[in-house]
Amino acid sequence: MPNDTPRSTARIGGHPIHPMLVPIPIACFVGTLVTDLVYWKTAAIMWADMSAWLLTVGLVASIFVGLAGLIDFLGDRRVRALRPAWIHGLGNALVVVLSIFNAFVHSRDAYTSVVPTGLILSTIVVLILLVTGWNGWAMVYRHGVGVRAEDRS
Amino acid sequence: MNALRLGLCAAASLSLAALTACGGPKPIDPHRQIGPNPYLPDIHQYLMPPMHVPKITPWGGATPTVAPGLQIQALASGLKNPRSVYVLPNGDVLVAETGGPKAPINRPKEFIMNLIEKQAHSSTKPGNRILLIRMGPDGHAGAPTVFIDHLHSPFGMVLVGNDFYVADTDAVRRFPYQTGQTSITDPGVKLTDLPGGPIDHHWTKSLTASSDGTKLYAGVGSNSNITENGMPAEYERASVWEIDRTTGAHRLYATGLRNPNGLQFEPTTHVLWAVVNERDELGPDLVPDYMTSVKDGAFYGWPYSYYGQHIDPRVMPQRPDLVAKAIPPDYALSSHVAPLGMVFSTGANLPAAYRGGAFVGEHGSWDRSALNGYKVVYIPFTDGQPSGTPQDVVTGFLVGDNKVHGRPVGLAMDGGGGLLIADDVGNTVWRVTAAGKP
Repeated sequence: MPNDTPRSTARIGGHPIHPMLVPIPIACFVGTLVTDLVYWKTAAIMWADMSAWLLTVGLVASIFVGLAGLIDFLGDRRVRALRPAWIHGLGNALVVVLSIFNAFVHSRDAYTSVVPTGLILSTIVVLILLVTGWNGWAMVYRHGVGVRAEDRS
Repeated sequence: MNALRLGLCAAASLSLAALTACGGPKPIDPHRQIGPNPYLPDIHQYLMPPMHVPKITPWGGATPTVAPGLQIQALASGLKNPRSVYVLPNGDVLVAETGGPKAPINRPKEFIMNLIEKQAHSSTKPGNRILLIRMGPDGHAGAPTVFIDHLHSPFGMVLVGNDFYVADTDAVRRFPYQTGQTSITDPGVKLTDLPGGPIDHHWTKSLTASSDGTKLYAGVGSNSNITENGMPAEYERASVWEIDRTTGAHRLYATGLRNPNGLQFEPTTHVLWAVVNERDELGPDLVPDYMTSVKDGAFYGWPYSYYGQHIDPRVMPQRPDLVAKAIPPDYALSSHVAPLGMVFSTGANLPAAYRGGAFVGEHGSWDRSALNGYKVVYIPFTDGQPSGTPQDVVTGFLVGDNKVHGRPVGLAMDGGGGLLIADDVGNTVWRVTAAGKP
């Protein structure tokens, strides 16, 4: 059964780039929710500053993660044939759009940079990440995207 | 795939909403916000506040425009960020060449803000010193010489007897002065520390003295727009300090004044006045900057509220107990004009229409799509209170809507009764006199 797994196009030394980088924005956006919650409860400005940095780093990393993911998506018809690939890609595009909004909200000064709009956006983003993450794992662990065929058999 | 299409649509419409939300409300006519009872619109919190910073273009031989009956000339040009002027009793003019200390970057927004600040200010490195200009009897000025060097963001200056005081951004310093002296090499002594770095958001410390010379008054601006650097950073800030001249001990004379400058005693009633920069990012017409008499023990709202009991939702925890005590200021100057200098008109050289009131230097807005300020106005006073609307006295700092030659900051009346204007973008000190007079 040669070549039966969908290929990853953006890869270095045979290792797909997208899964290497994707933990960065995920950790940043989850971290934003945590620091937003702490700021909401303490009103200690350090936590709001932390949220703003996490959002910025998450968004910058998303550029590379998104590009690698898009190349994989466009690079192999078999990837595009997977329903989880669409949910994963579009869901994460929404994550990025909402996080750009969230970064603007977090650029306000003091309390309303987080409460309530920023906190709500951070929460929605993490909920979407649960869905897109689940579908991303399905692509790899169920459909073997980017996994070498001989390793699977 | 319907859910996916829905997702796409949501993303597209959200992006569109983002673009339209950036605009915010249209600016109103600034005249509705001048006087004791300004119109205050609803709060608008932006996703991205409008930034409108006109491009700096040198004067190149041009001068500001003055009202009829007046004339203007450059007293000194080619300076390094002149921001405040002070006149000694013998007529010598002092000019503080100064700039703020380097601002730390505590969050991503401050990268952007620092870039905008750079656009709005002269690229000349501030001198951090005070220059002296000797005035001739005919209104002609000598070349500037160094009066005091190696200061730390100096702004306020006042002479009491033979003691010359400079308000650096982090301390009030005292230097011995003899009439006619043209330079001070004595290192001076520190009378008191003032709230300075490492953040030092509003760094200009205005300074004046009581008429009996026992007390100094220093304007100490807030350390943020609206507490975004945390409340501990605001300790003893957004206030006017009263400093004992012999001991250096201080108390907070008045509080809740976001960025008080131009401290001056009104000459007929001997009441302390200041111009105050109010908060940003609540819309193009909030919050109006103002001039006010500064009442002993009064609280003027910052950060919790503005114009009395109008609450600012950005401050947490809120303090209803303080808001209840907040008093409104005397006279609004309209929003984001950035008044940084004020002087009561004592000069007999100016036409009668410009006597007894106050000149205000409006540095000009950066966060309002329609620019506001960028001029010197005159507000007539009767019985120690503003009476009548501000008149444009010196304009022409702006060319059209996108070019700026200069920005007025500190003001003073000179020995010959002329009005002096420090222009920190044009790097010039201007002198306004009655037309045809020296």
